[in-house]
Amino acid sequence: MSGVSLQKVNKIYGSGADSVHAVQDLDLEVSDGEFVALLGPSGCGKTSTLRMIVGLESITSGQILFGDRDISHLDPQDRNVAMAFETYALYPNFTVADNLSFPLEVLGLPAELQRKKTDEIAELLRITDILQAYPPELSGGQQQRVSLGRALIREPSVFILDEVMSHLDAHLKFSMLFDLKRLHRELRRTMIYVTHDQVEALALADRVAVMSNARMQQVGDRNTLYNRPANVFVADFIGEPPTNFFRAEVAYHDHDTIISVMDSDLTLQPGTAAATSLRESQRKEVIAGIRPQNLGFAETAHFLTADVEISEYLGERSMLTVVNGTTRFQAIAPPDLRVNPGTSVRLYYEPLNVMLFDPETETLIA
Amino acid sequence: MNHATGAMTAGGTERTQDAWRHVRYLFLAFLGLWIVFTVFPLYFMTITAFKSAAEANLTVPTFWPQEWQPRNFIGVFDERTNFNALVDSFVIASANTALSLFLGSLAGYAFARFPRQAGGENLAFWILSNRMFPPVAILVPMFFLFDNTPWGTDSHLSLIILYLVFNLPLATWLMMVFFRDAPVEIEEAAYLDGWTPLRAFFKVTLPLVIPGMISVAMLCWIFAWNEYLFANLFVGTAVRTYTIVIPTFTHGSQTLWNFQMAFSLLALIPPVTLFILLRRYMVRGLSLGVVKG
Repeated sequence: MSGVSLQKVNKIYGSGADSVHAVQDLDLEVSDGEFVALLGPSGCGKTSTLRMIVGLESITSGQILFGDRDISHLDPQDRNVAMAFETYALYPNFTVADNLSFPLEVLGLPAELQRKKTDEIAELLRITDILQAYPPELSGGQQQRVSLGRALIREPSVFILDEVMSHLDAHLKFSMLFDLKRLHRELRRTMIYVTHDQVEALALADRVAVMSNARMQQVGDRNTLYNRPANVFVADFIGEPPTNFFRAEVAYHDHDTIISVMDSDLTLQPGTAAATSLRESQRKEVIAGIRPQNLGFAETAHFLTADVEISEYLGERSMLTVVNGTTRFQAIAPPDLRVNPGTSVRLYYEPLNVMLFDPETETLIA
Repeated sequence: MNHATGAMTAGGTERTQDAWRHVRYLFLAFLGLWIVFTVFPLYFMTITAFKSAAEANLTVPTFWPQEWQPRNFIGVFDERTNFNALVDSFVIASANTALSLFLGSLAGYAFARFPRQAGGENLAFWILSNRMFPPVAILVPMFFLFDNTPWGTDSHLSLIILYLVFNLPLATWLMMVFFRDAPVEIEEAAYLDGWTPLRAFFKVTLPLVIPGMISVAMLCWIFAWNEYLFANLFVGTAVRTYTIVIPTFTHGSQTLWNFQMAFSLLALIPPVTLFILLRRYMVRGLSLGVVKG
């Protein structure tokens, strides 16, 4: 067992004009026994990244280390990695028991020992009753467990899960999430979980690595990603509903720093730290962001005034879409709230929750 | 109002049922006709094989032998080399099938797993298209080509290699389809489970394409077994295939129909036996869907 370290890893498919730069200067450190989720929208390069980690794809440049062993150019079978596939990839003509013991067979372990280990892992994943069945006879959830079991049966340096939940229904997904968390706690293996679903990523992982456009955007725990997103992409991608963004101008008065949203008469008060850094840089324009969850009806000193356009009742909460000038944004409201479209409302916020981004680079200023 | 609608619906249903019944009758009639077309020749061949030479040559044919003459089946081997012809055909068909399968699987695997490195879809299609031109077009060039080889035209080897022209494209194309159907993730999973590519192939991928391979083998074997055009021109002295023996039962103005049919019936036994033994795989293989997850 060991940690994983990716250093300036690049992947370029093809060559010349048709080449695609799928992974660009990627750095990632996963410590021993840590559970990290690799999160990003489809086509962001996360699958290429994981295929490079396991060795199914060659790396164009850079280095991948397991512990302090450089495995960048080893064949997959020499890396001692295990992977659970999105499509499960069970061997359809083997029984479940044979599927599980397949990684042991190649090691030449005695049959007795293979059987013992198979039984242990089947016990752990609660699949003892289907050991003699063939994969096509199994349900999606059962196939999923078998594929996890096959990956876990030997002691791999790194354990990789590729979109393993994307074919499970919501109910099953929830219980699998719980099981995975339990497995990680019991086994303390280094795990990398690849997904496009932020709920899975945030629920499971110690840290989440957010990828987009072939680049690593930010690596951090839930709170960091949520409250201190590195850039507009992360702020937009993490959290549901997505963050409200405003293009805004900054005005500096004697003691006050005021952010005026363009095309509206909205003004935002930045937090003290943010105000200080703005003042130092004397920048004129920013992108301001505030999460719908951080706009509410509990009275504070600061508020935005806008007209209700749509009020959607979503069961546990309501979502308000409000408009001021031509600027539209959203806020979360209590479910029992009754407001008619056209009503003017005050939405209160804490200056601390106002996020500011550079309009050019889209990175977090404060 | 309600009543009227109900009546109309009922009438409509009746009419639809009537229409379906007619379609069914038509279908059955067609099926009957088709059975007559396919089974009658077989039937006539079988009874003719048991007739005497005189009865087989009657102007008004009999549909049941007046006198059964099973010794026709021994008579066809009066010419000793006739039995060797069946053996020659068997050797040529089997060797060609084995070679087609082996080379076709290698090429098919390459096209399925490494399409870009293997030359792409166009090359694969070009190979298949070799199967589409009329074979007679290359009859003469091929004769001169093989005439200049050390083993000449009149040998097993010449036909074994020549039939690759037709069987290899088919085998390559079909094996490509079967390998494509065998999920690549399964192979990748085996690599990650510690297996080398070669061992993973034999352990994991090959078993998935075996039904397909068997049906490809059948197609190749039957083509090589039945081939007449090239065999007729190429071989005939040192090597004879059974297909060129059949016409030898025609002497001048007289045809020994009973011998010809008896010999044909014997030649039918190997492919029919193979088909019966392997029909389970044939159906699985030819439905072109080997495995799905």
